[in-house]
Amino acid sequence: MENKKKFDIGKLISDNVAWFVLLILVVFFGIFSENFFSFRNIMNLLSQNAYLLIAATGITFVMMSSGMDLSVGYVMSTIGIVGAKLLMDAGLPTLVVIPIMILLTIAIELLNTFLSIKLNLTLLVVTIATMTIFQGATYIISESKTINNLPDSFKFLGQKYLFNSIPIAVIIMVVLFLIMSFVLNKTYFGRYVYALGGNPEAARLAGININKMRYMIAVIEGLFIGIAVVLLIGRLGSAVSTVGVGTEFSVMTGIFLGGVSIRGGEGKLSGVFAGILCIALLTNGMQLAGINIYYQYVVRGLILLAAIGYDVYQLNRRNNMKKKKLEEAREAKRS
Amino acid sequence: MSILKVENLTKRYPGVVALDQVSFEIEPGEIRGLIGENGAGKSTIIKSIAGAISFDEGKLIIDGREYTSIAPTEAIKQGISVIYQEFNLIPSMTVAENIFLGERIGSKFKVDFKEMNRKAREIFDRFGVEIDTTAPVGSLSTAQMQLVEIAKAISKDVKVLFMDEPSASLSVSETKVMFEIVRALKKDGLAIVYVSHRLEELFEICDSVTVMRDGHTIETRKIEDLDRHTLIKLMVGRELNETYPERIPVSDEVVLELKNVYGNGDVGIDLKLHRGEILGLGGLVGCGRTELAKMIYGAVPIERGEMLLFGEPVRLSSPADAIEKGIGLIPEDRKTEGVFIDFPIDWNVVVQCLRKISKNSVVDTGKMDEISKRYIGEMKIATPSPHQLVKNLSGGNQQKVVVAKVLATHTKVIIFDEPTRGIDVGAKQEIYRLMNDLTKQGISILMISSDMEELLGMSDRIVVLNEGAIAGEIEKAEFSQIAVMELASSN
Repeated sequence: MENKKKFDIGKLISDNVAWFVLLILVVFFGIFSENFFSFRNIMNLLSQNAYLLIAATGITFVMMSSGMDLSVGYVMSTIGIVGAKLLMDAGLPTLVVIPIMILLTIAIELLNTFLSIKLNLTLLVVTIATMTIFQGATYIISESKTINNLPDSFKFLGQKYLFNSIPIAVIIMVVLFLIMSFVLNKTYFGRYVYALGGNPEAARLAGININKMRYMIAVIEGLFIGIAVVLLIGRLGSAVSTVGVGTEFSVMTGIFLGGVSIRGGEGKLSGVFAGILCIALLTNGMQLAGINIYYQYVVRGLILLAAIGYDVYQLNRRNNMKKKKLEEAREAKRS
Repeated sequence: MSILKVENLTKRYPGVVALDQVSFEIEPGEIRGLIGENGAGKSTIIKSIAGAISFDEGKLIIDGREYTSIAPTEAIKQGISVIYQEFNLIPSMTVAENIFLGERIGSKFKVDFKEMNRKAREIFDRFGVEIDTTAPVGSLSTAQMQLVEIAKAISKDVKVLFMDEPSASLSVSETKVMFEIVRALKKDGLAIVYVSHRLEELFEICDSVTVMRDGHTIETRKIEDLDRHTLIKLMVGRELNETYPERIPVSDEVVLELKNVYGNGDVGIDLKLHRGEILGLGGLVGCGRTELAKMIYGAVPIERGEMLLFGEPVRLSSPADAIEKGIGLIPEDRKTEGVFIDFPIDWNVVVQCLRKISKNSVVDTGKMDEISKRYIGEMKIATPSPHQLVKNLSGGNQQKVVVAKVLATHTKVIIFDEPTRGIDVGAKQEIYRLMNDLTKQGISILMISSDMEELLGMSDRIVVLNEGAIAGEIEKAEFSQIAVMELASSN
């Protein structure tokens, strides 16, 4: 084999775009905001976005296996409202409500996948429909009212600190992230997720049960989104019908930025971690800088476009190179 | 005792019998060549045996067990392994992971990468091949990917190994390495079915050859009893019984000329198309004919070389450009690329010249009516009205609509990509007559055809492509199935 361990800075950057963007953002905010590097600020930032990272971890499994779930935001809102109602109106204890919320989310994601398999439609198309359904559901159930003053026992996970310094949500996030990194990189299930996204036909011919895989991925997605909602409304202390809206796009942008390919089968969870932090920092930075919320949407849309565009650009370049090589080989044979 | 016996296997697709009572058997330690023209059914029989597609009738006997249907997992369990023509690899996963995809090494949940890599290296070491088993497959060369496919196929407990055109993407020296591997596997007692259109390879490596034609198994013979010429004769030995319109001599005015054209996988193409000529493009699947057509039609840019239209150099940047300059395409896949199937005939006929029949951006329906009625009459499109939806027409009439669409833009050169695919016998004659009439009007036709009979019957001259380059040209007087096949399968 030729010496391929040669240091290639271009490849290093293109393999880790999100980390470099993150580095630039951190340096930028470090210079322009005096308290940025304080332990407190960093913990604050992480705890605010713990739910986003947890949701992204679960959704990465879906996008890696080449599905896209648009219903995430309204599913989160619905689950949040249902949880808050169960706590406040039905008076159920926290320890009962949290499992119900999580199981309900899993059930919804299983339904999405079930419809996708049975109707032979992509998850994207199915979730355009279910997204709209849950948009309605969340307004109906909440009657468009905010549910305030959730009990302390419920807010515990979202708001409390361990040793008075590290937010519990951040600990949960780190633990879950590490577990799922292990699952994705080291277990058969995780590797099959790549196989499913990279080439479903090859996976099928290798004897992998594709539908079973998709249901298992739905369970993981539901579990993580469920946990994300619990932490989110726990931190806010209240639930409204719009609480999760937009999460799907923030998460998707972060995941694409993190190097997960839009065709699936490619990417790393560590990249997703960096990608989500980039989005979190940018959102935070734009808020601090007092940038109008509507301009923030424009910026986020542009970032999503850039992240996907870069992915597709690389694919085209690879394809063109392959064709060039074929021509060269044929030319060599001819002469 | 045979390890695999195929008995009267039949596979039907709507409108075609892809496999018709296919039978053959193979013994352990035998290398069997499987050969046939495009569409003879080679890939279909392999897929049926491996369980990738289901078959309708007949049975498989694998090592004494009988099957009337088989699932992919069962085929794997019984030791059937296939290296498909298209790679079935996952680019982001490592070499070792791809080799053992679907298998569990070590514990049931956690991947034992160390053990996996060790086992993968063991396979490659046996054949003296050096590949980094921890590298992602996407970073490998095509030849290396082929070796990974082989390693993947033999990593399991294999009894019968199918190799579908394994040398298609390999260089001469790489093919040699692969042959060494195949011979070693034969020594281990594997039965190997080797599909290739490179006849020289069969003589180098096979013990026997089974010839397929039009979904039938024609004959199985020992390699000693065969030579190149006999083999080609067995492959193409079809009765030529269709009649073709009488052709008139072609003018020597050059309409379209390619000079040393490179691009889209094709290399150094020189081509001349004369006024009123039907130039046939022959060759096997993947030889670069459709790729060439796409460049001439402006769908893919020409990288190097020159294209001349009526002696003038032209650079096409899009199909719209090509249409503007008088080049038309009748695509291979009529239903998805040729017509808007859910739209009426008249709309389909004028769709490429809407601008010309519009005033202030409003389509002049009177003109649309006039043009479509004219073509319906001229081409004898069988329909009660111009407003009939194209999907309600027969295949032959649909094809006429595509031709009408192309003619409505005042075309000088038409590329026919498989002009009569999926069209029944009677309607074929009408399409042939239509093509003949077009050339009488001075239109030049470039015809890509995998139907040997059609290629020989309709062309004034045949150019055969092989691996992206021109393998040779045949004049009308020298036309024969064997001459075409010789050029298409040489290496």
